[in-house]
Amino acid sequence: MTTPPPGGSLLEAIGGVPTAAAELVVEATDVHKWFGRLHVLKGVSMTVKRQEVVVVIGASGSGKTTFIRCVNHLEKIQQGRISVNGHLIGYRDVNGRLVEDRERNIARQRQEIGMVFQRFNLFPHKTALENITEAPIHVRGVPEAEALETGRALLARVGLSAKSEVYPAQLSGGQQQRVAIARALAMKPALMLFDEPTSALDPEMIGEVLEVMKELAREGMTMIVVTHEMGFAREVADRVVMMEDGQIIEEGTPEHFFTNPTHERTKSFLSKIL
Amino acid sequence: MPVTPGSLLAVSNPSFQFDLKFFLNFVFNPAPALLGGLAITVYVAVIAQLMGVILGVLSALAGMSRSWLFRGISGIYVWFFRGTPVLVQIFLVYFGTPYLLSGFDLFPNHIAVAGLDLRGAILAGLVTLGVNEGAYMSEIVRAGILSVDPGQTEAAKSLGMTYRLTMSRIVLPQALRVIIPPLGNEFNNMLKTTSLLSIIAVEELFRYAQAVNSSTFHSFEAYFGVALYYLLLTTIWSWIQARIERRLGVATTGSGGGRSWRMRMLGFANRSGQGAGGMR
Repeated sequence: MTTPPPGGSLLEAIGGVPTAAAELVVEATDVHKWFGRLHVLKGVSMTVKRQEVVVVIGASGSGKTTFIRCVNHLEKIQQGRISVNGHLIGYRDVNGRLVEDRERNIARQRQEIGMVFQRFNLFPHKTALENITEAPIHVRGVPEAEALETGRALLARVGLSAKSEVYPAQLSGGQQQRVAIARALAMKPALMLFDEPTSALDPEMIGEVLEVMKELAREGMTMIVVTHEMGFAREVADRVVMMEDGQIIEEGTPEHFFTNPTHERTKSFLSKIL
Repeated sequence: MPVTPGSLLAVSNPSFQFDLKFFLNFVFNPAPALLGGLAITVYVAVIAQLMGVILGVLSALAGMSRSWLFRGISGIYVWFFRGTPVLVQIFLVYFGTPYLLSGFDLFPNHIAVAGLDLRGAILAGLVTLGVNEGAYMSEIVRAGILSVDPGQTEAAKSLGMTYRLTMSRIVLPQALRVIIPPLGNEFNNMLKTTSLLSIIAVEELFRYAQAVNSSTFHSFEAYFGVALYYLLLTTIWSWIQARIERRLGVATTGSGGGRSWRMRMLGFANRSGQGAGGMR
């Protein structure tokens, strides 16, 4: 790998493994989603246990990105239910019918779910450190001094101590993505979602981001990762999920996918990306 | 003897000629009333523009809200105030509202506001120009908000920010860079549009020129002289605007040096994108 792993434990910087209340962190049952008439999720069910790392693979358009965006309610779902830490996400159950929850409640639920985007989405008008402290201070109400301390510790752990006062435009893609991971961690989430975190990166920067993610996985963060990085999957995934046409068509350990994938689509997909 | 316009003018300006001395005196030795008019012009323009910005932000947010009621209110507001002449709006507000309120005069000659004696016509003018300006600012702010990458909103939401926090701390500061240049043009217009308030007897700059004209019949001297004063105001403003935009220009190249806190606050310190390394 290009960059040595960042110094020290990532989760130590935020006070240890966030204690998820539930043993099952994510519980998605029969999730359906339509974009207009397009049926993009056709009954996806998935559970993620505490400290488990699930890698979701599949061709573009298979619904994998849409699915993890539903997990923090960036997308609405039309059928089924998704719970995180035992709490229904985005909806309230009113006599068996699901009604979209209030904005404030949804915002509170999202505090427990970190998300890392393909295109980083750092706030360009804030420094690296301000990007990290923004939400702890203004959403969680953490005292500024404490937020700054945590922010600096996180930056150090992703190997960017020297960049705390720098604006995103002055950082490389890999550096930006590492700041984005630190930003999500600063909220001490019980679950981290990664939406193709290395797809927008130049090849030589992929390694440094994957190193941070592997470190996080080893330290026990619960993660759902949409990626095509099978090396990452082999090293840290507990489970790999293959999606095709809005459905999960195969699920198993990384070894299973590398040695004897059963589904024809999985075989042809893996032969293209490996 | 028939009274012709010419014969009237001849009364106090018998030579009917450009009076250089009068003109120079008008411009370079301004009467206190002229300076008073200048002050009213500037202060009405600034306050009306501020009102316009506030109303514009509210209207833009309402227009982009999920509620059809808010969208409808914003739509009708912008439609009406952009679609009718501001002069008509001034008359409607100042002369028209008492008829709507069964004779109650919203804008009496003297209004005590926080211990100050405010002329009703000024208040009516401020309200009309501010509300009119809000309709234009609404579109400008809307364009500014739409210029911000939707990924910014998603990132803010994913961190647990509410709509209000997302707008105030993430989206609007970034929209400002797009809003500022047209806002400067709007204020240039506003400085000049205030002259319309002369018609409801607000004693601003142009009203003073009219008074000089009618008492001395030095029409050219008074109107050209006051034109120069407007030119002075808009020139000063252009200079200020150019300075702001030059800073914006420097900042958008991504160079880090020389950021003032103001520029940082406005989000000008950096390019809005995600940097060369990352964007597709």
